[in-house]
Amino acid sequence: MIEVTGLSKVFGEFTAVRDLSFAVRPGEVLGLVGPNGAGKTTTLRAIAGIIPPTTGQVRLAGHDLFTEPLQAKRALAFFTDEPRLFDYLTVRQHLNFVARLYAVADHETIARPLLEELEIADRLDSLPAELSRGMKQKLAIACGLLHAPQVLMFDEPLTGLDPLGIRRMKDSILKRARAGAAIILSSHLLHLLEEVCSHVLILKRGEKIAHGTLAEVRARFGNGEANANLEDVFIRATGGTER
Amino acid sequence: MRLGIAGTLLYLRLTTATGWLTSRLRRLKQPKYLVGAVIGIAYIYFFFIARVSQSPAGRPAAAAMPKELLSIVPEIAAASLLLLIALNWIVPRGRAGLAFSEAEIAFLFPAPIARRTLIHYRLLSTLGALSLTALFMTLVSSRWGLPSATAWMRGVGWWVVIGTLSLHFTATSFVVTRLLDRGVSSIARSIAGLGVLALAIGVPLVWTLTALPAPTQQDLAGVPAVARYVEAALQSGPLPWLLPLPKLTVAPLLAADARAFLPALVPALLVLAAHYVWVLFSAVSFEEASIAKAEKRAVRLAAFRGGSLRTISAKKLRDPFRLRDTGRPETAFLWKNLLAMGRLFSPRSGLVAAAIVAGGCLWLSSAELRGGQALVATVATVVLVIVLLFGPQLARHDLRSDLKNADILKTYPIGGAQLVFGEMLAPIAVLSAIAWIALLAVALAAAAQNVPVLVRIAGPLAIGVCTPFFCALQLVIHNGLALVFPAWVQTVANPGEHGFDVLGQRLVFLSGQILLLALGLLPALIAALLTFFVTRWIAGPLAAGVLAWLVVLTVLGAEIWVGVRWLGERFTRFDLSSELRP
Repeated sequence: MIEVTGLSKVFGEFTAVRDLSFAVRPGEVLGLVGPNGAGKTTTLRAIAGIIPPTTGQVRLAGHDLFTEPLQAKRALAFFTDEPRLFDYLTVRQHLNFVARLYAVADHETIARPLLEELEIADRLDSLPAELSRGMKQKLAIACGLLHAPQVLMFDEPLTGLDPLGIRRMKDSILKRARAGAAIILSSHLLHLLEEVCSHVLILKRGEKIAHGTLAEVRARFGNGEANANLEDVFIRATGGTER
Repeated sequence: MRLGIAGTLLYLRLTTATGWLTSRLRRLKQPKYLVGAVIGIAYIYFFFIARVSQSPAGRPAAAAMPKELLSIVPEIAAASLLLLIALNWIVPRGRAGLAFSEAEIAFLFPAPIARRTLIHYRLLSTLGALSLTALFMTLVSSRWGLPSATAWMRGVGWWVVIGTLSLHFTATSFVVTRLLDRGVSSIARSIAGLGVLALAIGVPLVWTLTALPAPTQQDLAGVPAVARYVEAALQSGPLPWLLPLPKLTVAPLLAADARAFLPALVPALLVLAAHYVWVLFSAVSFEEASIAKAEKRAVRLAAFRGGSLRTISAKKLRDPFRLRDTGRPETAFLWKNLLAMGRLFSPRSGLVAAAIVAGGCLWLSSAELRGGQALVATVATVVLVIVLLFGPQLARHDLRSDLKNADILKTYPIGGAQLVFGEMLAPIAVLSAIAWIALLAVALAAAAQNVPVLVRIAGPLAIGVCTPFFCALQLVIHNGLALVFPAWVQTVANPGEHGFDVLGQRLVFLSGQILLLALGLLPALIAALLTFFVTRWIAGPLAAGVLAWLVVLTVLGAEIWVGVRWLGERFTRFDLSSELRP
């Protein structure tokens, strides 16, 4: 469960996110969309505890991120658009390191099927420099999933993946949602969100302009078209501009 | 070179230079760069330019150089140049590549530009950029007492020397590439090169030695006598035939006045021009190697920006120790950073090094080689001092090198203080281990100096216990500065950053670090002195000394604890996106 209340983030005189509130329940996948500079990444980074919000509250899996940060973070996995890996650790050593941080007992048993699912089981002794971008992304995902998080946040998760990788990634997200995880997915690939997300939140200039199930948002911005796709909805909701 | 393309390339070079200068000037609006620039310019002025503007007679260094030595400077300079060139032919290297940037490769290689035009562009750009190196050398060499009459003559002289060397190195790489293309392997070339080197250096050396009488005691009696002997050596055997060409190149740099400078400059420029033509007509395929070179440079730059001084090799690193799945999370950071430091820094390597040092010292002792023991003690003391004073600055595998991963680190379920302490553990462990091995050597080697056993054991033991505290305190300061001034640290620690403002920032940073360290040590020192003087009347000097030592450890420990907690808080609130915003 992800609960965000009155979240704002201000950089100097620039307000990146303004008074944002929403919730993602277990089993739900929320698509976070918006034009460039809408505040999607800032929102995700604030919810993940990477940057302190200026105001607002965030609760992850029932724990307040600011008063119980360690408990909240134990339930969380955050995947950045650019995989952040340690240059000198191999795939196996990355998993070993993360297992210790999250106290994942017998991590090798847990990691094996995960690596096979992500198709990097044969690269255990490779350093990040020897992996393709897609492979690095998969390693970051394996590290994030090792402790079976209840809350998952993805920032442009499909960048660098091949078509098969994209298909597997989508399946993987849906599998975690079915298992009861609360998931936020930020992406510009609207057809992907349409396939995976149960809910959608549209941001523009740091403000929420639409939030609800796909059907609800479609009903509001679909101009009465029952089959309006998310792209049409997005363009109508944002007015077709970034500003 | 067609004028249109030449104009375009000139435009690129000029706009690049203008853009670079403008961005440098624009960032002076930020106080940190402005302060840095003021301090950097003041430092350059008072330490170098003020001296450069003095006449040679007014320069103390020039006055300090004996006349006999001055007379053989051209021969020594030419011989050094000859040696550099000879070595350049031998040192193994890959295919020839010109130093194009990645953007230049992306835009210029596919463009309709002749290869020779690209070579012109690159060579002229390099020669232009070398004028900055020449300027730097002019400032630095102002203290060397060179006979050049004015700074500008010395600047032009340096530019000719550096430019000729640069062109020679490029030409060498082109020749090597041609050899490689004809199937001569790198090993075969090295063997052939060694043969040539043996002939080139060995034959003249043997020739010179046979032609020159061995130095007598009179030849070594003072600088003038040595200078006379060296002068005779450089005029013996084949050297008078080998040195004239290099002497032409260094002649403008060493010309005493304008009347000597101009006649010296013309032949030197002709040598430089001949090298230019040599490179231009060495038509080899340089494109692939240039691309590889640019990529390598980009990776190196990224590594520097990330805080690492080495780039990643594909070599796998063995775990320094087995990391269990459960336990304190700080240990995971120790494990990770030891891995990053390389295979040399594992507990096993430390034990092997200690065993070698102990074995060596015991052997010296049993063989009664007192001179050897004294040498070991001296070297170990120097190592110890370097580790204690400069180690924390150099061992950067802590939060400083991990700031680029702050996004991920902050999602880990670990407290800020735990994370900061965990990050610092690897440098503390490695520096302490090196210091302990040095202390072991000092303790064992001191036996030969008849130092009392109590002092020989207690002294190193006391310093050894203090070492982790002393290193940790410095690491708190370095990591604290990285967290408080991340943008400064990004600039200061990046070897790719140059300029007056960066020089000034480095000076400010260094001063700040020294000041903070002094402030950190002061309470421990005062408390220790008070304890010693108060308790020695009651418990005697030995017990007072032990008590004072315990007080030092306690105070340093308390400071480190407070510092780590503060850094943890700071890291928790740390917002890299705001900190690095221009």
